Amino acid sequence: MTGTTRLAPDTALQRLEELGRSSDPSNYIVDGIPPRVALELASPEAVAEALALCAAAGLALVPWGGGGQMGLGNLPERYDVALDLRGLAAVVDYEPDDLTIGVQAGCTLARLAAILSEHGQMLPLDADDPERITIGGLVATGLGCPRRFGYGSLRDLIIGITVALPDGTLARGGGMVVKNVSGYDMMRLHFGALGSLGVIVRANFKLLPSPEAQRTLLVAFPSLEEAMEGALAVRGSQLAPTALVVLAPVTAERFVGMARWTLAARCEGPEGAVLRQAERLAETAASATSEARILEHEETLRFWSSLQGKLAATPLVDVIRVRIGELPSRLGELAARLVTEWGSALEDAVLDVGSGLAFATLAGTVEELRAAWTRLAGYGRHATMLAAPRDVKAGYDVFGRPPEGVAVMRRLKETFDPERTLNPGRFIALL
Amino acid sequence: MDRAAIRTRLLEIVGPDGLLDDPDELLVYEYDASDEVFAGHHRPDFTVLPRTAEQVSAVVRLANEVGLPVIPRGAGTGLAGGALALRGGILIVLTRMNRILEVNERDGYAIVEPGVINLELSTALQPRGYFFAPDPASQRACTIGGNVGNNSGGPHCLKYGVTTNHILGLEVVLPDGERIWTGGPVPETPGVDLTGVLVGSEGTLGIVTKVMVRLTRLPEAVSVLLAAFPDIESASHATSAIIAAGVLPAALEMMDHLTIKAVEDAFHAGYPREAGAVLLVELDGLQEIVAENTGRVAELCRQHSAWEVRVARTKEERDLLWLGRKSAFGAMGRLAPNYYLVDTTVPRTKLPATMRRVEELSREYRLSIANVFHAGDGNLHPLVLFDRHRPGEVERVLECTTEILRYCVDVGGTLSGEHGIGFEKRDYMTLVFTTEDLCAMAGLKRSFDPRELFNPEKVLPTGFRCGEVAVLRQQALAQRLGLEYV
Repeated sequence: MTGTTRLAPDTALQRLEELGRSSDPSNYIVDGIPPRVALELASPEAVAEALALCAAAGLALVPWGGGGQMGLGNLPERYDVALDLRGLAAVVDYEPDDLTIGVQAGCTLARLAAILSEHGQMLPLDADDPERITIGGLVATGLGCPRRFGYGSLRDLIIGITVALPDGTLARGGGMVVKNVSGYDMMRLHFGALGSLGVIVRANFKLLPSPEAQRTLLVAFPSLEEAMEGALAVRGSQLAPTALVVLAPVTAERFVGMARWTLAARCEGPEGAVLRQAERLAETAASATSEARILEHEETLRFWSSLQGKLAATPLVDVIRVRIGELPSRLGELAARLVTEWGSALEDAVLDVGSGLAFATLAGTVEELRAAWTRLAGYGRHATMLAAPRDVKAGYDVFGRPPEGVAVMRRLKETFDPERTLNPGRFIALL
Repeated sequence: MDRAAIRTRLLEIVGPDGLLDDPDELLVYEYDASDEVFAGHHRPDFTVLPRTAEQVSAVVRLANEVGLPVIPRGAGTGLAGGALALRGGILIVLTRMNRILEVNERDGYAIVEPGVINLELSTALQPRGYFFAPDPASQRACTIGGNVGNNSGGPHCLKYGVTTNHILGLEVVLPDGERIWTGGPVPETPGVDLTGVLVGSEGTLGIVTKVMVRLTRLPEAVSVLLAAFPDIESASHATSAIIAAGVLPAALEMMDHLTIKAVEDAFHAGYPREAGAVLLVELDGLQEIVAENTGRVAELCRQHSAWEVRVARTKEERDLLWLGRKSAFGAMGRLAPNYYLVDTTVPRTKLPATMRRVEELSREYRLSIANVFHAGDGNLHPLVLFDRHRPGEVERVLECTTEILRYCVDVGGTLSGEHGIGFEKRDYMTLVFTTEDLCAMAGLKRSFDPRELFNPEKVLPTGFRCGEVAVLRQQALAQRLGLEYV
């Protein structure tokens, strides 16, 4: 058996500040709580060392990227140190001809996209705030976008990872090749684990060639039922859009000025093929009473990026955002229920029919929102509060019903983070 | 508990037709598809063939109670010795759990038992307009459970991804006998991604009793091209050019001269015998895109010295072109009594240099090496040909394959692309991973299987014990950071 290391908390805090640059703790508030110290670290080794110091001193640490997804998570059990990883932002390994890249966790989506586009390549990700969203944050939260229908999610594209562990080591899994079964899948162990088992310092991905052209087919329907019928017809076709969503009237009005249940299908590929694809999709989806429109390339990019803002875990003040997993064929039923039960409190609703996820943003008083969550938590295959005010979260598990494997998850936590240094209490089942 | 008592308990669980423990009956279970010359043979104490998940769970609980190892096995087509009972114990063969339980094409999933054969699943899905994308060479025999255990690949992984990209959820019996579901039909299930961790864990973390697979829509159009090149080098450059042009084929396979000759002698697939290498390229998707890309790929091949490009237009023509590729391993018997198949991946740009190195090693060790591989994703399969009865040849094969692996790792590649580590490659793990990396992996294993009863002696290097390493490291760290160690 291994022993334990100890260090007085005050000494540890002092030593931490020597490791990197101190930052203003008020910029790192999680659910209303500021940390005692905030640090910017610039090397993976410094991150590992910081973790070891925190573990020895019993300090609780929260890893930070741009903070754009910090709405996700239970109220922290303790919060001493904010670890800002944006200084760790290098592209470590990029060979365009291999279609692979290795990047440090703090690299923003905007920067990564700029580097990749020079070579006509991409990761199929959208963000309404790409300057803020970091790769590490996307891997840690596991939050994707509707393009997973066509391309798979980041979970499908991750081929390697390096994490810093509370025992002060850096551990890698996977590698820089697209096909690899050497050893355990450490990438998926950490993907979506909210940094509760290790701090992600680097991730490797397989890349995709950027499509030559993009279009989005929009079809507005007089009713939810007709919109869902159109969407399911597209889903079952061989027309292969890369994303397929249905927007509630309030959301459709906000983004495309059509105040009806609106289907949006994204087409990506060679110019001529994409135009033809959009036309064929329109034939498949349309009904006698629907109204179709096509967004051009630039409009398509703007539309999906801004829509992503309604699917993100950005911290929210007066509203809650819920993600519900449900079979695509049952999303219509689910949406009808949301509308009936919450009506005008429903600020936005997006049904990701390609994936089987519904996103709803609800407004109300703290009491109303708490009452709403007690019902919503039981909806669908799974339900998560992606973001909510502190007082709404209090006392609940934002990840909803605990899954069957929670005992294994607890053992993983005990193995990798025995002192409960990393994001204590914030992950599922208050891990 | 003595052997007779364990036998009685197993009989109670699986019934008389579900238990084998006679040495003659166990003989076949001493082997898998790995070469006996290298992996040896290992007799389990018992082989059980359960019919239900409850039986699997009961066997695991019993094994736990008596401290016997448990080794899950599908069709036994694994090439890395993953299904060998290295420490004896109970071999749990899942081939009788072979029902397709549910197909829901509207929502894109099916639930199957682990013993369903890979090809049978796709055949069953075909009339509904869907397929299961991973298609290992052994797909006519291998099971879905085995695919899950090994995170199997296949030619079509280039576009569609490997097994882990097509597994949505698992019902799994954990090493304590508890049975749980992980994942589900829709993405982003909250919590640690246990499905992702279990796929490819080679039966060392749990036994899968139901698999929820993703269904992939059959493409609207498919075309297959065969391009003949003067040598591997030019075919490799064509491969890079196709990928660089932004075309993502469904499959991109290469065969060298030796393989083409063997395939033609055995199966008459109609490949050009004079070619130094051929590329087999499959394109699929929307008809407009396939039509455009077929022309582009043909042109790129010609630009890179292909002197013949054939395009298959009908299903029959396509199947004929694929026949040669799919029969390649079977044709090796024409060339030598034995072959050792090396499975390794390198970054695609390192392919030409790696192939040159393989050729050098072939000369150096006086061993013929045939090459047939997934060029599109850099997954090599050098087949080192030999005769086990010729003195000294087995040793030369081992040295030669070790050199191939070492080179691949040195250029940024890895030990195995799709066959797994199993028993065969576990001692090479230190070529790729540091002690820290391996300790983390051992921590993962320990979290699932603290008693190390599940498929022991696999994946992690021989005798790797993280505990001792960890204590020394922790003490060193404490000293360096000025921490008190207690």
